[in-house]
Amino acid sequence: MGTLRWAAGRVGGALVVLWLVATAIFIGVRLIPGDPAEAIMGGPGSQASAEALAAARADYGLDEPLRVQYLMFLGKLLRLDFGTSYALRDPVLGIMGQVLPQTIVLSLLALLLAWVLALVFAAASLRATRVGAVLGNAVEIIAAAVPHFWLGAVLIMVFSSTLGWLPAVDNGTGAGLVLPVLTLALPLAGFLTQLMRDSLSTALASPFSLAARARGDSRLQVFWRHGLRHAALPALGMTGWAFSSLLSGAVVVEAVFARPGLGRALLSAVLSRDIPMVTGIALFSAAIYMVVMALTEGIERALHPAGVDS
Amino acid sequence: MSRWARIGSTLFVLLLLLVALVPGWLAPGDPLAIDPAEAFQSPSPAHPMGTDESGRDVLTRVVHGARDSLVIGIAATALGMGVAIVLGTAAALSPRWLDAGILRLLEALYAIPSLLMALLIIAFTGPGVGPAIVAVGLSTAPGYARLVRSQIRTLRHSEMLQAATVLGRGTLLRVRNHLVPNALRPLLALITLGVGQAVIWASALSFLGLGTPPPAPEWGAMLAAGRTYLHLAWWMSLFPGLAIVVVAAGATMIGRALGGKVNAA
Amino acid sequence: MSALISVQDLSIGFASDTVVQGVSFELHAGQCLALVGESGSGKSVTARSLLGLSGGSVAAKRLSVLGSDGRKLSDRQWRAIRGRQVAMVLQDALMSLDPLRPVGREITDALPHLRSRAERRRRAEAILGEVGMDDPARRAKQRSPELSGGMRQRALIAQALVNDPLVVIADEATTALDAQLTALVLEQLRAIKESGRAVLMISHDLAQVAQLADRIAVMRAGRIVETGPAARVLSDPQHEYTRTLLRAVPSGVPRFTPLSVTERHLPVERAEPSGTPALVATNLGKSFSGHQAVDSVSFDVPRGQTLGIVGESGSGKTTTARLVLGLQRPDSGSVSLLGEHFAPRRESARRALRQGLGAIYQNPLGSFDPRYTAGALLADALSRGRTRRVAGYRAQVSGLLEQVELDPGLIDQYPSQLSGGQRQRLAIARALAPQPAVLVLDEPVSALDVSIQATILDLLDRIQLETGTSYLFISHDLSVIEHMSDTVAVMHRGRFVETGPTAKVFGDPQHQYTRRLLTALPRFR
Repeated sequence: MGTLRWAAGRVGGALVVLWLVATAIFIGVRLIPGDPAEAIMGGPGSQASAEALAAARADYGLDEPLRVQYLMFLGKLLRLDFGTSYALRDPVLGIMGQVLPQTIVLSLLALLLAWVLALVFAAASLRATRVGAVLGNAVEIIAAAVPHFWLGAVLIMVFSSTLGWLPAVDNGTGAGLVLPVLTLALPLAGFLTQLMRDSLSTALASPFSLAARARGDSRLQVFWRHGLRHAALPALGMTGWAFSSLLSGAVVVEAVFARPGLGRALLSAVLSRDIPMVTGIALFSAAIYMVVMALTEGIERALHPAGVDS
Repeated sequence: MSRWARIGSTLFVLLLLLVALVPGWLAPGDPLAIDPAEAFQSPSPAHPMGTDESGRDVLTRVVHGARDSLVIGIAATALGMGVAIVLGTAAALSPRWLDAGILRLLEALYAIPSLLMALLIIAFTGPGVGPAIVAVGLSTAPGYARLVRSQIRTLRHSEMLQAATVLGRGTLLRVRNHLVPNALRPLLALITLGVGQAVIWASALSFLGLGTPPPAPEWGAMLAAGRTYLHLAWWMSLFPGLAIVVVAAGATMIGRALGGKVNAA
Repeated sequence: MSALISVQDLSIGFASDTVVQGVSFELHAGQCLALVGESGSGKSVTARSLLGLSGGSVAAKRLSVLGSDGRKLSDRQWRAIRGRQVAMVLQDALMSLDPLRPVGREITDALPHLRSRAERRRRAEAILGEVGMDDPARRAKQRSPELSGGMRQRALIAQALVNDPLVVIADEATTALDAQLTALVLEQLRAIKESGRAVLMISHDLAQVAQLADRIAVMRAGRIVETGPAARVLSDPQHEYTRTLLRAVPSGVPRFTPLSVTERHLPVERAEPSGTPALVATNLGKSFSGHQAVDSVSFDVPRGQTLGIVGESGSGKTTTARLVLGLQRPDSGSVSLLGEHFAPRRESARRALRQGLGAIYQNPLGSFDPRYTAGALLADALSRGRTRRVAGYRAQVSGLLEQVELDPGLIDQYPSQLSGGQRQRLAIARALAPQPAVLVLDEPVSALDVSIQATILDLLDRIQLETGTSYLFISHDLSVIEHMSDTVAVMHRGRFVETGPTAKVFGDPQHQYTRRLLTALPRFR
């Protein structure tokens, strides 16, 4: 398969996925009992004014037939017009522009840290004794089982309240990023360590590693030249999933550390049932997922041209 | 599964069932009984896990919370798995075009992070225990469905089923004698792993104020309450969190012993 | 002339297991020594200990590697020997070259002493050219999965030879390769030997060893049981085990002559084949996305006879088997079984006919349901899937076990607990349960050690004589095909290029492809 065809397929697939997500949301809004205009304005409890409801109706063409409404909805999305946040009274796109970078930076740093930690632990476990292996196994499983919201609280308790080393709330110096990034990264590192350790030990037990040793490579050289690549490949394949789980975690972590971001915005949008905002965030995170998937697949293709298509 | 793993996991499941079914046996107190005079007691022989802002015993609440957390976790997994098995099996056994269609749909659902999807569903339904179950169940379904699909596809094209065809076995016999029983075991592992994850997700929703409402003794909700008093009463946050970790890690270990992979959902 | 490598009383242990014991040999320049043995004999571990890579604890009276005392070398000192003075070529280039790295990098890795990158690259390309790789500069940038089998094998040899080592260890370097690649590797090893270097050949295959070795040492269970000049060991073996191994080589052994020591000679009484052939294929064709895998293939298998199909990997022989078994629908042509139309046909319409057709695969484990014991598998086959309880079928199950000479005590074992030979016997028993007229055997012995292979082939012979079952026997191994077939078809790129009585095809091949294949067939009887 040519690179161009692959790229075209990826873009086409992403558009289909986004369209499906948008359609699901469109249907979801209309499934809510009662007046869709009310739903858009935050549900029956919101006590929106008559003018606001009328504006929403006009905005969404709610008096038009469903088919027309649907096309209007899609048409607006195509023009990146997600409407106005009911709760914040600003265009959704503008709000996203403010919160998205915060979450992306947080998630990327956490992803990076999780990768490094997983590699270090996976490499360390190679030389572990029996007791060490059992212990390492337990730590991995527990790390992967720790809920973000609790880990965040424990880290605040230890490093902020008790030791006073790190701030719990961002004070603008970047030190405030340390605890949220750790909170996000540790559970993911637990997952990735398991994955990397398996592929690392398989690679180092492979004939090509023996062949490398027989050529005169040292253990360390075999690890760098062969082990790392093979350990990275399956973990790389999981990056799409990992990023997606980081976005999930970000919702909680941003709440725990009172950080602005996509997750926080989504949470308040859900609490106030701010449908335009929710729609925008859902589409954006789906788009982020598709971009990450395309990027990792591209890297995989470069690393392993023969392996991806098969 | 090794002998020790079997004994360990059986004991773990029995203990959990005991706690969930007869919480009064381990913690005879009332989880909702308020005693303002006893508020914010640190752990002591009288209150091994301390008391909360209203003077309720944290140990009693953690023990009584097991039922809620487990019921939500199991119900959500059952829902998610049910959807996943139907979709995954349908995709695996359908003609190529339908398989591709279902796969695309699953990818679309998978593209939205689980917790975001759960929040999305709650945006439509409003908060509560029922919505939390539906939200967690549906948001984990796409991941499981993809696994079920590949599992069944692998089996369907396996040499084992080809050998059965060559021996002259009809479709019914092949499915009943080989496909279903061999698909069940990995599914069981997946379900066990799923319950552990679902308990975490469900308590996350409660923590965010979208699941079980306070003052019910649900672990996530208890953590949410404890967060306010983190500097004052660390025990309010520590112990409910530990309970979640123990259940999730236990489920993970059993699932792995059954041959499951953790990166499932 | 003093020996390049001299080993005396070598023992290697892992934890409490001693896998090599009291092994002694010498290796001289311009000489090829072969260590021959079956899996678990300790031959590979012995070879690896010459590079300090055995992984176990090594003890010896002498372990001299090019003048260095191997017992005292540190890892750093070993590394100066590895690749520079003693190099190793491993089995299966696909696994022995890192699939994620360009082969050129695998070669330059062995040249850390060359300072400049350009110089390293020049040397790598030069050595690739020397082993006969076309366009070395381009190939050096490709990864092993992108290369063809032949190029990959050349690259593997190149990475061992790049430092001009005095000793080359070939560890099962020809195992699992088809005839032409085997010939290629043997030719390369011969060139190495003739250039005055020493070759230590590790192999389970006496026939292949016979083509190159000057001396042979036969290993069994960690010990050398016999050693001597190749010609003497092959023509006049002294040890019982050597004789067993030699006898197990099917090449040139007439049909129905037992290969295993335990099998007695059978009276060969076969009626001339008459009536409708058991299996007829007419003009079979099958293509996969434009690639013609099977192209106008026609054959018939007379009752009680064996048709052997021989071909290299990718020649279309397995697809042919799948078409015959009705696992894939042919694009053209048809198959009939005992005179009845069998393929292409609706599965439900031909299900009753399936009792007449059985199949044996290379890896029987994959074809067994892992939840069934040996007894359950046979009960399931006998009851046509109605039950897996042995109770109602005890007599028939024991009958089958006896027929394939499988210990009745294994009835409650799971297939995964059985050895390779036992598994294949169980697979044969299961296939025989419905008393089929035809068995399709797709590489049935390719995964087995030679002595086990011999017993399985003998068993198949006996079953054919006793039951008159016809075989469609598919293999890449010329000598197995020669020993087992009445008629042979040579398959190449989806077509039968030559068909005829076995003696005629092997004795007087007409097609040039057949001739090329046969040059790789080892003869030492």
